[in-house]
Amino acid sequence: MDPLVLGLLVALVTVAVLFSGVSVATGLLIVSAGFLIIFDGMRSLELLPEIFFGKLNNFALLSIPMFIIMGAAISSTRAGADLYEALERWLTRVPGGLVISNLGACAVFSALSGSSPATCAAIGKMGIPEMRKRGYPDGVAAGSIAAGGTLGILIPPSVTMIVYGIATETSIGRLFLAGVMPGLLLVSLFMAWSLFYTWRYGSADVLAVRHYTWKQRLEILPRVLPFLVIIVGVLYAMYGGVATPSETAAVGALLCVLLAVILYRMWSPKSLWVVLRDSTRESVMIMFIIGAAGVFAYMMSSLQITQSIAGWIGTLDVNRWVLMGIINVFLLIAGFFLPPVAVILMTAPILLPIITTAGFDPYWFAVILTINMEIGLISPPVGLNLYVINGIAPDIPLTTILKGSLPFVGCMVVAIILLCIFPEIATWLPDYLMGEAR
Amino acid sequence: MAQPLSIRVAQHGGNSVLKFIGWLSALSGIVAAFLIVLAVAITCQMIFVRFVLNDSTIWQTEMVVYLMIAATMLGLPYVQLLRGHVNVELLPMMLPMGLRKVLAVVTLSVAIAVIGAMLFYGYSMWHEAWSRGWRSDTVWGVKLWLPYLAIPVGFGLYLLQLIADLAALLFGYEKPFQLDEGGN
Repeated sequence: MDPLVLGLLVALVTVAVLFSGVSVATGLLIVSAGFLIIFDGMRSLELLPEIFFGKLNNFALLSIPMFIIMGAAISSTRAGADLYEALERWLTRVPGGLVISNLGACAVFSALSGSSPATCAAIGKMGIPEMRKRGYPDGVAAGSIAAGGTLGILIPPSVTMIVYGIATETSIGRLFLAGVMPGLLLVSLFMAWSLFYTWRYGSADVLAVRHYTWKQRLEILPRVLPFLVIIVGVLYAMYGGVATPSETAAVGALLCVLLAVILYRMWSPKSLWVVLRDSTRESVMIMFIIGAAGVFAYMMSSLQITQSIAGWIGTLDVNRWVLMGIINVFLLIAGFFLPPVAVILMTAPILLPIITTAGFDPYWFAVILTINMEIGLISPPVGLNLYVINGIAPDIPLTTILKGSLPFVGCMVVAIILLCIFPEIATWLPDYLMGEAR
Repeated sequence: MAQPLSIRVAQHGGNSVLKFIGWLSALSGIVAAFLIVLAVAITCQMIFVRFVLNDSTIWQTEMVVYLMIAATMLGLPYVQLLRGHVNVELLPMMLPMGLRKVLAVVTLSVAIAVIGAMLFYGYSMWHEAWSRGWRSDTVWGVKLWLPYLAIPVGFGLYLLQLIADLAALLFGYEKPFQLDEGGN
């Protein structure tokens, strides 16, 4: 069979298998084993455990559970609420400042925790009722938190970026840096929209300015600063060349757990176990997908599919921006159904040669891909964040949450367009700090 | 990325065999969690040796990687028990209960067959490394059957949990895909 036709068949079967409700990792193993048996015979399965083992035999992967532990430790404390309060107390002079503090808290907390749903829950639990109480429209209150939560997969340290780095063999440090300015751009766009909408449709209370004394402002800082110091320290250690991402993440994980124990008195074995259990669950789930995606990639290349697709795209006479547009639509659709990690592991190894041949920067592409995944997090049918918000604010109808989130999807699309026009938004910082990529 | 969402757990309907398999998966998960803790501790020790004592490290990097692989493999049944392996329930949600059950039985059976094959060939890989005394080509030169052992053990325990899930489904202890009639 022609490898291209076979590739199409693999794509269709993969979609069918994944939609059948089987877990993503097991689904990838099923598709890989099925096609290998049909086209290469039963004996071709002999190599699969070795390929699976080989894919996991990578020191860089250690950073995944470590950053997850870091996030889980922070998420299990009151740090989210403290962060929210701190920003609230410091940003009260801006009319409509509450939504700004919420988005700021989301940006910082999502970077700390690396988890979209955890951010929505931590900030939203306090932020949404407070915003509604003060007259902010329900849509803005819910939408801003849902969208703010998605920032965690873009702003460093991000597990999604690590997974992209591993899948495409690109520098994780450089990827982290590439996410910084687009992350700030997104936060600014989110804030601009929220303020515009609030000023237009919010009640008079919204514009009222609250006053906090300097004592109130300063007393909250000791509870928030230590976590920020750890994150800055971890990033400094990475870029200062002190240690690898995995090593710094391990130290970061240890320090965050210690801080949670000391600062938030989280010393009961039960609460520590919850952190460990959640981290294990999340890490194992991701690592299993990584191993299975390795087997999937082996099947694709062993049946000559990957090579044929890359060759075929090379012969196509299409404008590279049309190509990028098609890739974006494809990623967007994939992101509607699948978690970011799965999309990246399945598509990045195939897409990377295509986009580099078309002259795009792989680090810039990582940012574009990640923003596409962020859109998936607040869009139906899966849209995890929408359901988390629905869980913490059950009296806001899901349709209001959805309508409130839509403009933020618009902001993300604007960000993608801006990044296409000015790719330097993603590439300038890594180029400036680490020199141009080879 | 720990998710603050409610955790679903596999149902055993009081059946002692299914209960035992669930207990085994949970134990396996606890071991996996502690292997991750051990990996953190060894990595911190490695950084201390390298940057504070200015000494070279020999076994740590390799050991940490093998611990992570073992943690992943031993974590598989536990994550299955907690229904933590991410999936897309789009098609099951659209199907009526009867067809949904058929789909669940089919997907679980195919998963069992493929994981069974991974166990079989994983065992062969381990056995070959063990009988031929293979060692890793590093300074540490660890006997490879040790890290390879995680593959058959992990897939074996995962297979057991999948079989238990299939049994729970067939006995009616658990709803297909743990979805209610309305798909929630």
